[in-house]
Amino acid sequence: MAAQRQLMRQSYGVFRGMFLQQRCLSVTAQRLRPDDVDKALSVKEAPSKDTKNIFETKEEVERRLKLQENIQIDVPLDLTPVTGVPEEHTRTRRVRIFKPAKNAMQSGTANINRWRMEFETRERWENPLMGWSSSGDPLSNLNVDFADKEEAVAFCEKNGWPWFVEDPVEKVMKPKSYGLNFHWNRNTRVSTK
Amino acid sequence: MASPGAIIKSTTRQVKPLLSLDKSEARRRVLNLYKAWYRQIPYVVMDYDIPKTVPDCRKKLREEFDKNRHVQDIRVVDMLVIKGQMELKETVEIWKQKGHIMNYFKETIEPKPQGFLSKFLAGHE
Amino acid sequence: MALSMLRRFSSLVANGQKCGITRAFSAAAGSGSTTNETSPAIRKVDAVEKQNLIEFGRYVGECLPKFVQKVQLATGNELELLIAPEGVLPVLSFLKDHHTCQFTNLADIGGMDVPARPYRFEIIYNLLSLRFNSRIRVKTYTDELTPIESSVEVHKASNWYEREIWDMYGVYFANHPDLRRILTDYGFEGHPFRKDFPLSGYVEVRYDDEQKRVVVEPVELTQEFRKFDLSSPWEQFPNFRDAPPAIEDVPLDKPAGGEPPKK
Repeated sequence: MAAQRQLMRQSYGVFRGMFLQQRCLSVTAQRLRPDDVDKALSVKEAPSKDTKNIFETKEEVERRLKLQENIQIDVPLDLTPVTGVPEEHTRTRRVRIFKPAKNAMQSGTANINRWRMEFETRERWENPLMGWSSSGDPLSNLNVDFADKEEAVAFCEKNGWPWFVEDPVEKVMKPKSYGLNFHWNRNTRVSTK
Repeated sequence: MASPGAIIKSTTRQVKPLLSLDKSEARRRVLNLYKAWYRQIPYVVMDYDIPKTVPDCRKKLREEFDKNRHVQDIRVVDMLVIKGQMELKETVEIWKQKGHIMNYFKETIEPKPQGFLSKFLAGHE
Repeated sequence: MALSMLRRFSSLVANGQKCGITRAFSAAAGSGSTTNETSPAIRKVDAVEKQNLIEFGRYVGECLPKFVQKVQLATGNELELLIAPEGVLPVLSFLKDHHTCQFTNLADIGGMDVPARPYRFEIIYNLLSLRFNSRIRVKTYTDELTPIESSVEVHKASNWYEREIWDMYGVYFANHPDLRRILTDYGFEGHPFRKDFPLSGYVEVRYDDEQKRVVVEPVELTQEFRKFDLSSPWEQFPNFRDAPPAIEDVPLDKPAGGEPPKK
């Protein structure tokens, strides 16, 4: 009797071993079993799917892919309806694109090579109470700086402002020296002493 | 040397779509937005107790949509639809107040004097 | 040595500039560039930390070559990744989920407007890794009409930040759960942080007694705002001309297919 029970126990153990080896494991779990480490490299994992993309219909998939590609637009870029600028300040304001001149009172030349955009001036009147200069023009002090003339032009085109470019007057620095005042050629003497 | 005006150059470009992929879809969005506003107007008049009639509001709605009728760019249309939808949401949920709804009608803004005589009489240059 | 010192001091005094400790030290040291060790007022850069950041930046740039366009180090210890706008979600989820990155904390999303560029707006994501105690900045670009994927799925915190950027700049975030205005008044038109939005705005509000409500009218300033030009025509730091630039590039190895191998 005891021997039979012993036999049963042993066979049960064998059966259990057999079942364990044939137990259903997921692909991910099989990779992580401790007895066969190399299995982690050889058995590939099932590719994970994004939960929101599982139940997409064919049209939705197509649309999602199309939204990631580009569309073609043939009309010039005009942002006037969406910028939030009121109508009176879009088409009627002229923009002057220029290169601000070097400050005549100082001889520093940093921050000189830039282009600036300013709006035409509108009426300013005297405040009757205090004599301040009032204005109804929000864009009177708006200056936008650009590195290049073309960037400024593109910006104005985008926002629908008529513009004109003022070409800068380039000053040619002539080489000067004090000795020229006493030049042998009297015509070259700039200031006679 | 000043060169006024706009330079016309070739403007075909490839861009990332905003909401719609083509003109018909953009048109559908605009029409649906218009219908949504149109159907909401009686409730707006009722909830906010504004001193305007429903036909008045509908006329105003039509005016606002007609202002942007000329827009051909799909993405600009989409952006306008997005902003219109946001305004509709704020109106429906009554986050706005009576003053915000009445501001659509711009009643207190006097039109600026046009033409020489009106400007002269108003004292402006 | 003494003569040069004297000359420097006299030039400093003649310029009428304040002789701060920095300048005195740099003048005394005799050189303007290697003042890291001597001057207490110049920020010290930890070389080990900087090297770690450079290597990490290179690693991320090589993991995501499709989207990362540039990696740079700003002011010695701030790593920045410049990416294409299509790559916002992949890069942010990589930085959040990857084991060696773990930037799980979104500190801030900022916007920047440079009207001179065709893609004028820059969206800047500031991330923090609690595990590794480090920060990283991810920058993308867009213009007024191009949408950017919303990062709400990756970081829940970006909900309100993206709403703020929509309100203030007008950048549309696609697939945002609730994109609406957050700071401006209902019915406000315009995007205030743009550079071409005037300081006084376009409209003003007042209470109207006839209408018995607040009305919105075009702005009329009783005294016009003054205009200041804050850029100076003088070079700002002549003693630091040789100082290392504020932004240093981290060179990425481009994969094969870039330039042909040099013979």
